Amino acid sequence: MTRWITIDGRAVPFADGQTVMQAATDAGVFIPHLCYHPDYAANGSCKMCTCKINGRQMSSCTTRAVEGQVIESNTEELNSERRALAQMLFAEGNHHCPSCEESGNCVLQNMAYRLGMTALMFPNFHPGRATDATHPDVLLNRDRCIYCELCVRASRDTDGKDIFCISGRSENKSLTINSDSGTLADSGLSIDDKAAEVCPVGALIKKREGFKQPIGEREFDRLQGSGAQIRAPRMPKLIREPGKKLKLATCSLAGCFGCHMSFLDIDERILELVEHVEFDRSPLDDLKEFTGECDIGLIEGGVCNTENIETLREFRKRCKVIIAVGACAISGGVPALRNTIDVRELLEETYINGMGVDNGQIPTDPELPHILERVSPVHEVVKVDFFLPGCPPSADAIWRVLTSVVADEQPNLPYDLMHFD
Amino acid sequence: MQSAARPLAQEQLARYDRDPASILQMLRNLQLQQNGIRPSDIETLSEGLNVPATKIKSLIDFYSFLHDRPRGSYDIYLSDSITDRMLGGREVAWTLCRELGVRLGEPRPDGMVTVSTTSCTGLCERGPAAIVDGLAIERVDVERAREMARLIKAGAPVDEWPLDWFLIDDEIHRKGPLLDADREPGAATERAIKLGPYMTLAELQVAGLRGCGGAGFETHQKWNLCRSAIADRRFVICNADEGEPGTFKDRALLNAYTDMLLEGMAVCAVTIGATRGFIYLRHEYEFLRDRIERRIQRRRDKGLLGRNILGHHGIDFDIEVYMGAGSYVCGEESALIESLEGHRGIPRIRPPFPVTNGYLGKPTVVNNVETLCYAAGILEQGPGFVANDGDEPGWKLLSISGDCAKPGIYEIPLGMPVRDVLAMCEAENVQAVQVGGPGGTLISADEFDRRVSFNDLNTAGAFIIFDESRDMLEVALNFTHFFAHESCGFCTPCRVGTKLMAQMADKLAEGHGARLDIEQMRRLHKIMTQASHCGLGQVAAVPILTAYEKFPDDFQRRMDDVDFQPTFDVEAAIERSKQIVREEEAAR
Ligand SMILES: Cc1cc2nc3c(=O)[nH]c(=O)nc-3n(C[C@H](O)[C@H](O)[C@H](O)COP(=O)(O)O)c2cc1C
Ligand code: SF4
Ligand code: SF4
Ligand code: SF4
Repeated sequence: MTRWITIDGRAVPFADGQTVMQAATDAGVFIPHLCYHPDYAANGSCKMCTCKINGRQMSSCTTRAVEGQVIESNTEELNSERRALAQMLFAEGNHHCPSCEESGNCVLQNMAYRLGMTALMFPNFHPGRATDATHPDVLLNRDRCIYCELCVRASRDTDGKDIFCISGRSENKSLTINSDSGTLADSGLSIDDKAAEVCPVGALIKKREGFKQPIGEREFDRLQGSGAQIRAPRMPKLIREPGKKLKLATCSLAGCFGCHMSFLDIDERILELVEHVEFDRSPLDDLKEFTGECDIGLIEGGVCNTENIETLREFRKRCKVIIAVGACAISGGVPALRNTIDVRELLEETYINGMGVDNGQIPTDPELPHILERVSPVHEVVKVDFFLPGCPPSADAIWRVLTSVVADEQPNLPYDLMHFD
Repeated sequence: MQSAARPLAQEQLARYDRDPASILQMLRNLQLQQNGIRPSDIETLSEGLNVPATKIKSLIDFYSFLHDRPRGSYDIYLSDSITDRMLGGREVAWTLCRELGVRLGEPRPDGMVTVSTTSCTGLCERGPAAIVDGLAIERVDVERAREMARLIKAGAPVDEWPLDWFLIDDEIHRKGPLLDADREPGAATERAIKLGPYMTLAELQVAGLRGCGGAGFETHQKWNLCRSAIADRRFVICNADEGEPGTFKDRALLNAYTDMLLEGMAVCAVTIGATRGFIYLRHEYEFLRDRIERRIQRRRDKGLLGRNILGHHGIDFDIEVYMGAGSYVCGEESALIESLEGHRGIPRIRPPFPVTNGYLGKPTVVNNVETLCYAAGILEQGPGFVANDGDEPGWKLLSISGDCAKPGIYEIPLGMPVRDVLAMCEAENVQAVQVGGPGGTLISADEFDRRVSFNDLNTAGAFIIFDESRDMLEVALNFTHFFAHESCGFCTPCRVGTKLMAQMADKLAEGHGARLDIEQMRRLHKIMTQASHCGLGQVAAVPILTAYEKFPDDFQRRMDDVDFQPTFDVEAAIERSKQIVREEEAAR
């Protein structure tokens, strides 16, 4: 006789000994997860699959299904916790998706899209864990490791090699390699091992395969248009004078102006936009100073020097709503790759020891802004009201957000328009 | 030196019969013998036990008292719990470091000495406390720190230091049935054997004995679950990890009531049918180990442990002491079992619980020291042993520390109001009490009518008093960092959450806090409470948020009245970046 549990009101059958996660997966019910993998014993560490089971929050990958269980999974309460868990993992590691080989195939990224995670929320820890590039075919970038222990389990249980090990505790936890040198080179890892392909993120990746698949054909690109997203982020409401155009300011801090280019990609729609929107300070109209108070400030780029701080503070003062646009504004992006390097070393490499530099010196001209020790996301310096991810966000995404604001509606960012890369 | 390494590691292998489960004991002994674990030791153990070297390294990295880089010949840890700080611990640390010319946490370049801080060492009422070469020293005030520095500079071996520094005494101020009892060795075990398991369990049930380690699970039920699980072997474990800051009552029991504990373990063993027992003793209590082991031996000699206990044919039970190596989470029963099996102390997925799948996967009872002592008393004298005049049956040992005239051990009837406890220990001008350790309940003066009880203020024994001079944000900060340091790092909400909480608490303390930080902390707290894998993560955010709610003044005087403050000190960052240019100009 079939026995049943209920997930979000839907009856789901289960077999003896199955966990809630297994029963859900078999029935095609998606419960967000990172460390769960059908081939391995549950680890229960990421806590992404936490559901309310008979009223109590429990990991669904480690909880046995029992006849009559009532399970809540797809609720805003649980999804907002899961979103925060994803944000915690992004804060703990260095996740700069635009420069990551796994982008588009990454389970963490996909989970973040589905949960409508646009902002990082928490300050980044800027870890500088050792990268292991010693193996001819496989690379280990520890700054992206989320400690799901899948490589540990795969190497031990499938490959029979026991190459990976979790060491240490609390923030000093690390992924170590069981070999004489402590590196992958002499670990006996083969590119055909299960452990070499099981990593859900871009921590343990195969060399020479990154960026091979074009955008649009990667694993999670397929989810576009599937309505896979669970929730759209919200923006605070603007109080507006009727009949008046919205005033919009934009700037590029430590960015490449790519977000501005993407903005211009709205093409002829810009004519429609200026019907409702007036540009104030912006590189688009070359206005260098604010003419007055603005409704919306679009910030491209992170904060890398003292001038950025001034500009950003000025924008915060003048604009009612600040929108962080693009990966650099949201996470520091590509410029933040330098965060693991000491500033002095950085300046010396750039201006003194760098290739092709003759008689160089570190510039001290008072006109120049001072470089900061770290590139920070915008939200670590001022309060940010809305985040529009992407590297760059597509013209459609920018259009969607701006027209929503004009129409006084909540912008809806479906899975198709959510990109960290 | 290097040549000596191999024999020492070999010695450990031989001593523990090459049993991989004893690896932590071997590592700990090596650490104490030579101030660090050498690459050659790791190699020897790895070969001898057929365990990967990475796994051995992972243990060294997990337990705070194990190191693969040598510490100083004088290896000093200063207890850095809130009670040590209240007694001047910070100043002691500065003094000691200054006098010895060392930096906190780093060995002196000549390898002579290392001074580090460590979580609560369980000497809260006689702090500031230190551990030198594995042995506890009490009342290390600035004076004593200077004397220690003098001895170290003179090269005096630790066993020639003043003996009274190491004599950890117990101040027992109030005795109830447990502390007052006059016990006849073997009587409780004999009675339990005579009564048989059903009657024994019934006695515990009538007495209403509940676990004293924090969770308050009914003891008779735990024993019964273990007893009824089908298995060929069962185990009894005494949880003597006592890592909760502010708790030191188990220390007193282990020291002066050792026989009662051993009796309780035997009672449990004969009731559930266990043949082997362990006392998991925290590293910091090394000074108690000898005594406990001698008592175990004495009981063996008297026929109270070993084969055919008390002459009952076929009733065998023996006890071993197993030392921890510095990890608070190992007090959690399933993490403790992991540690006992020689692994990192990561709490297991539960269910199944230890009562059915414990040590080596076999049914196991894990009980707190105090619980086992009460069980011995109840079995010797019947359920009336723990009767009291109040509404709630049972007694509780409190370890009282902080601002009062008479800190120490008090055995009180459950249900006693906090106000009466404070009067008993002669505390004045009290602003707040932390009932239970950092994960317990912080109460303010208007709550002193609340009761110490399983139904109201539950505590494993900690009772820390703060008078009006204390800054409650500092208190909460210490607790918050404690959790961040002790998180085992297994699950996301706790590993990342405790660190974020500590960062945000620091931000508030440094005067850069804003309303959104509080909101953010509340949000984090909810996730940590709901999603964490064990009790540590579930309560880690409680101290700072409770302190904010109950003592807002200590927070608000450091905060500007704003919604948002940057996550880092922007002005300081600007200043540092300008400094680089100034240095550059100066160099030209
Ligand atoms: C993080 C954590 C630390 C703990 N530390 C201790 C401890 O040091 N001593 C103890 O007896 N119980 C401790 N416990 C509780 C144990 O898990 C367990 O409930 C207890 O040992 C059971 O014994 P009892 O029933 O006699 O109380 C801890 C629990 C957690 C979650
Ligand atoms: S794509 Fe790469 S950088 Fe982005 S979340 Fe995944 S692992 Fe991290
Ligand atoms: S390397 Fe990848 S698979 Fe291994 S623990 Fe880290 S995230 Fe998981
Ligand atoms: S809650 Fe903390 S201590 Fe407990 S398992 Fe998770 S990480 Fe480890």
